[in-house]
Amino acid sequence: MTSGLQILILGLALGGVYALMAIGLSLTYGVMRILNLAHAAFMVLGAYLAYWALQILHIDPLVSILINGPLFFILGIVLYRILFVPLAGRSRYTEATLLLSFGLALGIEGIMGAMWTGIYRLANPSYATRSLVFGSFYIPEGQMYATAASLGILIALWGFLQKTRLGRAIRATMQNRTAAQIVGVHVERISALAFGLGMASAGVSGSLLSFLFPFFPGKHWQWISILLSLVVLGGMGSLIGTVVGALMLAVASVYVSSALGPTWSPATFYAALFLVLMIRPQGLFGKREV
Amino acid sequence: MTLLDQIRIATPHRLETRSLILLSLALVLFLLPLLQVVSDGYNYVLHVLMVIFMYIAMASGWNIIGGYAGYTSLGHPVFFALGAYFSGVLLVYRGWSPFWTAPIAGLVATLFGFAFGLVALRTRGPAFVISTIALLLLAQLILDNWEWVGGSNGLSLPMIGWPYRFYKIPFYYGMLLTALLAIWVSYRIRHSKLGLFLRAIAMDETKAEVAGIDTRMCKVIAFAISAFFAGVCGALWGYQQTYLRPTIFLTIGAAADLVLINLVGGRGTVAGPVLGAALRVGLDELVVNQVGSTELNITVTGLLMVLIVLFFPGGIVGALRERRHLPRLLDWD
Repeated sequence: MTSGLQILILGLALGGVYALMAIGLSLTYGVMRILNLAHAAFMVLGAYLAYWALQILHIDPLVSILINGPLFFILGIVLYRILFVPLAGRSRYTEATLLLSFGLALGIEGIMGAMWTGIYRLANPSYATRSLVFGSFYIPEGQMYATAASLGILIALWGFLQKTRLGRAIRATMQNRTAAQIVGVHVERISALAFGLGMASAGVSGSLLSFLFPFFPGKHWQWISILLSLVVLGGMGSLIGTVVGALMLAVASVYVSSALGPTWSPATFYAALFLVLMIRPQGLFGKREV
Repeated sequence: MTLLDQIRIATPHRLETRSLILLSLALVLFLLPLLQVVSDGYNYVLHVLMVIFMYIAMASGWNIIGGYAGYTSLGHPVFFALGAYFSGVLLVYRGWSPFWTAPIAGLVATLFGFAFGLVALRTRGPAFVISTIALLLLAQLILDNWEWVGGSNGLSLPMIGWPYRFYKIPFYYGMLLTALLAIWVSYRIRHSKLGLFLRAIAMDETKAEVAGIDTRMCKVIAFAISAFFAGVCGALWGYQQTYLRPTIFLTIGAAADLVLINLVGGRGTVAGPVLGAALRVGLDELVVNQVGSTELNITVTGLLMVLIVLFFPGGIVGALRERRHLPRLLDWD
């Protein structure tokens, strides 16, 4: 049995990574009302690329962040232009994008299965198996680097959204698309940018995933439901809510894992999702949709 | 004037040509197992048709919530598994035949769907699909770890006691009846007030609510009814397979099948899922069983889904209707 403080430390460290994984989902939903069910599939794809980079080119997963980020950003903008722009103006837009991204997720899963087979993979950089000990507490070294990288990227994103014109335009579009358009925001361009950023977050967190959690092509369904659960808890379309939801559920899942065994830790997220839908369907920071 | 027109005029109750053709088709399907009784060698045909009936029943059921109301569910494999395990456990531990526990399995699925729907359908929009994915994964986790029903190894069921030559026939009739019931229920809902409400919800839920429709109850009832058919099919299919294992029922791929069948045929139409199911199983038999299944099958499913959403959103029935070429034979709405 692990002590309460140890659970809190591990949970918060994990939550930082979850927050980075989910922030892109929240961003694309907030800006465009696109629920990207393929988000986690791209994340696992990013993990395979990082795994490859380490095995073949000996590039450390923490360094491959710098490759995956721009790569997935461009991929996101291309996919947005080709697949999602033609759907604009459909009467049931969110639903159409949902089915589209569902198809996309299946497509990627099959391709990954064909390329890398269904066996479990885990990248093993030198720090993956070491732990740092502080007094009576410990933290896996890889986890610490991943959390530090996540926090760095999240803070950079926050700075971008708060301080730059483009960032302000993104936030304005999230708050009210029509009003943003009226005051001169080019919402189509902003949407493409937000989708690219969302995909970049998937690619970047894929690099972290590659050495933190074992993965195989079909694993992305578990990831997408974990990430969506914490997005719903935080309130769909609220970025700060996503971060808070990630930290809360990560701590809860570490606790469940130590009490009932790691098999049941994903169940924390599903149970939390049903509880949120029962008690406060709009989530912690969400607005009730009229 | 064609012969069929003459029949129509001559028939006192104006039995339509369309109904006549469909009724004779049903009659042929009902009499088909006689071939197997008379001479062996038709088990394969019966099996393929049985699978088509199963997909018709499940896809028509899915269409009630996913098509009419426009709420995509990826959780239907859970109801299928629920039905399979309910009847399977009663067979193993009590010796009760799934042929009569299947309708009860359907009702259990309905009850469970109602309860789950009350929670998951409280809000509007995409929270529902998220909760159905979570339900599927949670059910996987529970069945994998629940030793009483066999855990991840599954549960072996006793074989049906019929001679090999005839053993497909009861399953064939079971699925046929379920499929016909599903089509009939789908048709009746399409032409009822509930169906009207559901379509209003699909078009604009806010306006539907303002117009005084209890949107939540409508969605929950539609979801519960649609769960029934997955439950019945699961009970029959599990018995037919003679073993139950979480991985053969509870996959996103199985959920994707139901979505794709509806997208291909035409979501929100009565005939759409029927056409889609026949195409799905037919192509599977013709192509996949020849070429062999690979990891890329799921990619084909995914790409088809993307292409249909982009270029063909109404499916076959929808596209034909838009061009005013929909034959009366397929116009069941």
